[in-house]
Amino acid sequence: MATAPIVIPENDPKNPVPFPLPRLAGMDNVPPHVPKELIRSTGLPFSPEFNENPYEFFPRMHETLPPIYYDVGPMQNAWQLIKHEDAFFALRHGEYFSSASSTPFPRDPKDYFYFLPIEIDPPAHRKYRAIVDPLVNPQAVLKWEERIRTLSNQLIDAVIEKGECEFTEDFARPLPVCVFLDLMGLPQDMRDQFVTWVVQLLKNMDPAKMIGVMKEIGDYLNTAIAEKRRNPDEGMISRIVHAAPNGEPLSEKEIFGFVFFVFIAGIDTVYATLNNIWYWLARNPERRHEMIGDPGNINAQVEELLRVFSVTFSGRILKQDLELRGVKMKAGDRITSVLPACNYDPEVFPNPREVDFHRPRKPILAFAGGVHSCMGAHLARLEIKIGLQEWLRRIPDFQVKPGVDVKYVPSAVVGPEPLPLVW
Amino acid sequence: MPLVIYVEADGARHEVDVPLGENVMRGAVNNGVEGIVGECGGGLACATCHCYVDAAWADKVGGPSSDDERDMLESAAAEVRPTSRLSCQIAITPELDGLVVELPERQY
Ligand code: HEM
Ligand code: FES
Repeated sequence: MATAPIVIPENDPKNPVPFPLPRLAGMDNVPPHVPKELIRSTGLPFSPEFNENPYEFFPRMHETLPPIYYDVGPMQNAWQLIKHEDAFFALRHGEYFSSASSTPFPRDPKDYFYFLPIEIDPPAHRKYRAIVDPLVNPQAVLKWEERIRTLSNQLIDAVIEKGECEFTEDFARPLPVCVFLDLMGLPQDMRDQFVTWVVQLLKNMDPAKMIGVMKEIGDYLNTAIAEKRRNPDEGMISRIVHAAPNGEPLSEKEIFGFVFFVFIAGIDTVYATLNNIWYWLARNPERRHEMIGDPGNINAQVEELLRVFSVTFSGRILKQDLELRGVKMKAGDRITSVLPACNYDPEVFPNPREVDFHRPRKPILAFAGGVHSCMGAHLARLEIKIGLQEWLRRIPDFQVKPGVDVKYVPSAVVGPEPLPLVW
Repeated sequence: MPLVIYVEADGARHEVDVPLGENVMRGAVNNGVEGIVGECGGGLACATCHCYVDAAWADKVGGPSSDDERDMLESAAAEVRPTSRLSCQIAITPELDGLVVELPERQY
């Protein structure tokens, strides 16, 4: 029986409407074209089995799963890609893979908006990145170096004498929040409030509660947007508010969805990454000393740690039928690139479990790829690098607090917390 | 502003004035030269800004500026030649006024 063709609408940023296709979930909702033998329930990323040891789970996927399979889960069903090559293909072929509907955050259908630039496909996508990229390209982020160093040291000052800290609360979360506030041109006294919002919004599995928090954050951001409209400055909000690509200013909803998404994207990703890295460092003193003994290799160290500790995924929806590695997928199917698994693809990174600071440099997928490649990648690399340099300089020896069993919390951004450390 | 001439694989030429302090990748991306993608924004993380420096300019521009660039070039999709560079690593200087770079058929 021929199925009716599925039309994935081009997201029109000037006219945001809720995405028309439902998110399928559960075994009762597997489309008939999916072959039985390709159905799996990996439990990624919310199951206890996965959260037992995520960074052993990811490399093992290459040993236990076909390269492309249909994952059935309680939140959504989707094809999953675990090969480096396949994920790059998906990320780089917007003509097949749309990022409309790629963010799961609930919005009021009567007052809908898109998260920009993530939910817009090329070519319209380009104009948004052109507004902000000059603030976050590799040269531009260098101007933040001293500031991030000062912030890192202030956070270390507050705990170093105590001989212990809860790393998430005392370092990993406040650092990216402070950097975010500076980047956006928001006052530092909003730090604790933003930390609270990050936790309430992004570590929360209940959509009903999310809506309330989103409204609170949204109200604040709207006030900030109005204030930047009156008083322009060098920050990112002001730049977005006053941008006029091809002479046309952005609409209220474009500005709001853009500013809001930078908040969603730029904080818990960084802190989960820091938590993963520090958890590993705390348990591997000899590797810590190797890093400290080779300060000139810090960039390669950061890149390798990002490879083995990638924290997030990339969701797309197929616009047209596509056959990949013999697997026939159909328009309307959801696709998830399991980026952390792709970074353990043995075909690209031989001996993938080994943390090797002298690997030849290759494209990693921690920040995805293609047009939606992470906007904040260079800033994030800098935060990780400076965080490592300052922490290892001042607290070279530390370990997980004895008796504490560090756990991974179910989240779309993978990281352990809390992480109590002692030195 | 130094002039950079980008020659696409199909022979199309783009003459672009690129400000000092910019790099050859951004000169292309900011001016609609499609043969360069530059998806990582110049972070030596994507190898989608591959170019061939014109033979007459090869000495002046020089080879890869770091081991990272040399490694990353191996991930380029098109054939790598002795004059291959990642264009995000070529900074625009007054000496490079008139630079000619050829672009490969594909970047991924
Ligand atoms: C280690 C930290 C980070 C990681 C692992 C990370 C990861 C990612 C990934 C995987 C994507 C692509 C998503 C997709 O294609 O579906 C992305 C996009 C994005 N990230 Fe990041 N990110 C990090 C830090 C940041 C920071 C610090 C910011 C902002 C200050 C940021 C802002 C963005 C934005 C705006 C996008 C959307 C880009 C677009 O659609 O063009 N990220 N990030
Ligand atoms: S732009 Fe990515 S390596 Fe040059």
